[in-house]
Amino acid sequence: MAARKSSAKKAGVDKAQREFVAEAEEILERMREDLGELSDQRVAGAEVDPDLVNSIFRSAHSLKGLAGMFGFEGLSELAHRLEDILDGLRLGRIRMDNPAVDLLDEAVTLFTALFTQLGDESYEAEAATRIGELVARIETAAEDPSQPQDSLDPLDIAPMLLRALTEYEEHRLRENISRRRHVLLVDTSFEITAFEEGLSEVSAAIREVGEVVSTLPSPGDAPESQIRFSLLVATETPAADLSARLEFPDTDIKTVLAATAAPAESSAAPQPPVEASAAQSGGAEAAPAETGSGEVPGDGATGKGGARGGDLESLKSISDTVRVDIHKLDKLMNLVGELVIQRSAIARIATRLAADPTTSRIAAELFKTHKGLDRKLKELQASVLDVRMVPLRQIFEKLSRVVRRLQRDQSKDVNLGFSGEATELDKLIVEQLVDPLMHVVRNAFDHAIEGEDERVSAGKSREGNIWIDASQRGNHVVIEVRDDGRGIDPTAVREKAEAAGLVEPGQLLSDKDCLNLIFEAGLSTATGVSGTSGRGVGMDVVRTNLSDLGGIVVVSSEPGRGTAITMTLPITLAIIQTLIVAVGRDRFAIPLNSVLETLLIDASEIQRSERRELLNVRGEPLQLQRLSDEFGLDAPPQDRHYVVVLGLGELRLGLLVDRLDGQQDTVIKSIQGPAAQVRGIAGATELGDRGAVLVIDVSAIVEDSLRRRDAA
Amino acid sequence: MSESMDSNHDTTPEWERLARGAAGGERDVDLEPELQRELLTFQLDGTHYAIAVERVREIIRLREITPMPRVPDCILGVVALRGEIVQVLDLRERLGLASSEPTRRTRIIVLHGEDDRVTGIQVDAVRDVLRVAEQDVDASGDNAGAAVAELCRRDNDFVSIIDLDQVLDFNDG
Repeated sequence: MAARKSSAKKAGVDKAQREFVAEAEEILERMREDLGELSDQRVAGAEVDPDLVNSIFRSAHSLKGLAGMFGFEGLSELAHRLEDILDGLRLGRIRMDNPAVDLLDEAVTLFTALFTQLGDESYEAEAATRIGELVARIETAAEDPSQPQDSLDPLDIAPMLLRALTEYEEHRLRENISRRRHVLLVDTSFEITAFEEGLSEVSAAIREVGEVVSTLPSPGDAPESQIRFSLLVATETPAADLSARLEFPDTDIKTVLAATAAPAESSAAPQPPVEASAAQSGGAEAAPAETGSGEVPGDGATGKGGARGGDLESLKSISDTVRVDIHKLDKLMNLVGELVIQRSAIARIATRLAADPTTSRIAAELFKTHKGLDRKLKELQASVLDVRMVPLRQIFEKLSRVVRRLQRDQSKDVNLGFSGEATELDKLIVEQLVDPLMHVVRNAFDHAIEGEDERVSAGKSREGNIWIDASQRGNHVVIEVRDDGRGIDPTAVREKAEAAGLVEPGQLLSDKDCLNLIFEAGLSTATGVSGTSGRGVGMDVVRTNLSDLGGIVVVSSEPGRGTAITMTLPITLAIIQTLIVAVGRDRFAIPLNSVLETLLIDASEIQRSERRELLNVRGEPLQLQRLSDEFGLDAPPQDRHYVVVLGLGELRLGLLVDRLDGQQDTVIKSIQGPAAQVRGIAGATELGDRGAVLVIDVSAIVEDSLRRRDAA
Repeated sequence: MSESMDSNHDTTPEWERLARGAAGGERDVDLEPELQRELLTFQLDGTHYAIAVERVREIIRLREITPMPRVPDCILGVVALRGEIVQVLDLRERLGLASSEPTRRTRIIVLHGEDDRVTGIQVDAVRDVLRVAEQDVDASGDNAGAAVAELCRRDNDFVSIIDLDQVLDFNDG
């Protein structure tokens, strides 16, 4: 098996590889730190912190996935072996004194060495050999006779509860028993509405003196509004003392196993790390547990590597990528924004100078300078924005991993197709897009795609299909998730919505409006309940998440043919162009990327239909919303109004204002204070000499207005 | 804050001058074994109030406040403060006192705040920094949980010490 990828034939390292190395280096860095800590704990003879082992396990797991995704099979294989060892450790299948544990450090060193050679064709065979060797040694070392297990019989605990423990929890329980700790069962109950908070408080209080081995919901005879939990706790504090520490109502503590003081020859008693491990491991010397202490052992078996620096862990970073905290970029962006404001101040001074004949020549020069400054600022702005942009490819790759796993778990054949993975979005938006997108794809997989038999009898292909298309449209990115599954029946949605009290019987709703009810909280079209979707939460969360990003989501579907979920998002949340509007004495900024056009109309052109106001725009009715009504502003009656036509996805709304006050580049800032979160306000911005101006949250205003129409 | 005195008094910000005045120039901590509290005192509706000095970030003159929709009445709006957008609270309104027009002496006391909770409070006038011994601070009696939780004496007057956490908490209406 070779650490290989077809593109490795090209000279140099391509972009994907650079990305891989940048991300993998970070994981390795963390592993090195954790392993150092682990080694310290082992040397000190102390009990090894289970969270530490878990952390290293997660790192190995991420590394495996990452290497696999980029096609580095050898690396992935090695990471897989590490994962096995660590999994064994955390589940107690492998003991901490197993020689394989010593090989973890060596593996990390090898990884780092291999990265420096990535893309070097002549090195491939050698890399494969070295990986093969280490894998073999790990396998030999890991063959550890399984330890005798302490019986859980003496525990005074319901067998049902014991059976509910995961393998990991069971291991932690045994480990604690072997360390002669008290095992207690803490029974407690909370109001359903606040149980998460209560549970985390109780757990935190217990963790001060012990370990929460498992938290299990317990059937008990709790009142209907309450939920009961049993916490299995291991601690050196006796039950009575713990009971005194936990000042929570409705909490009982029962001793399941009292600690015995007698020292026992337990197999799991702490032992000093075994130094002779290398002897059994097939030749080469195992790396000492402590890395980074000056000397890194060379690997004599594959001497060739030395010529290229081989095993020597280079201190020089391999990739030329700089990882930057996004907040630093935010700061940079803010500075640019403030420069833009200063620039407009210069323009105003120039205008004043131009008005006076004695200074008009200076004014002309100032205007020229201003223009130059303006050009450079725009470039600066674009470059800073560019740094923040990342392609959607990363999310798409995550999604295909999830779908592959779902396929394995549920043995359902679904093809996932992509287009537009090069489309770029602001890093912050991408981060927050992962969850909602994942949810939509899982929904499609779990509920939309039918079982094989159902598909065949409907004349469809055996495998289901999900497509994700991304494209840029102006200042927005549109992401569409389509499937060829069973589709959504608007009538069924409507029935559920009526049952849930979201819609009045007889209320007039188009099929499209019915479909979009799936985004209401408390409505699920799923008949069954599966792992993460179909519990009536989900699509409303998707909508909330998107609307936090200034985006919007709509659904369309053809029963029997498939469903499409379309998400529309702004490209960036940083600097945006805004239109300044005024109502009475109040001014607001509206992000220009949501403004389709502005119209000047006569008050008499406004038509009333039931409780809403409409405007005929080129033959199409446009729903109007007065900004003064929305925000309760003082607005003297006017003969003429400006209509700002807002467009989000396919939704349209005309916002009625008194005046337009020009366009501005603005940096949206969050409002600070005790009542800062206000529906309909996305933040505020500073407008040169004009103080703070509130920025309208277009998606909230459009959604609220259109929903009020639906409810009317 | 630096201990060295700035010779140019005119450009020293008002807040810094007040704090230095209170500190009495050179400070010698060893000579003051008893527990001291530093309070910023200000005026509201003719009465003296105080808040803990550590909560104060800066004091600014009144500037144009942009009103905000959909907020409680006591929120006057937001001000732009060197790139930050900060809500300003009308402390008269919040404490249920009669409202009044701002004057030349009206100030906004900007409070430190974590997690986007920097807040300005508008007061009639800022007076000075008062140092009181801990034992001279008394609970204000039966109105525990109210905005004024403690009192201290200054000459012949009482100064009401405001519980800022109470005042800035809007969850209980």
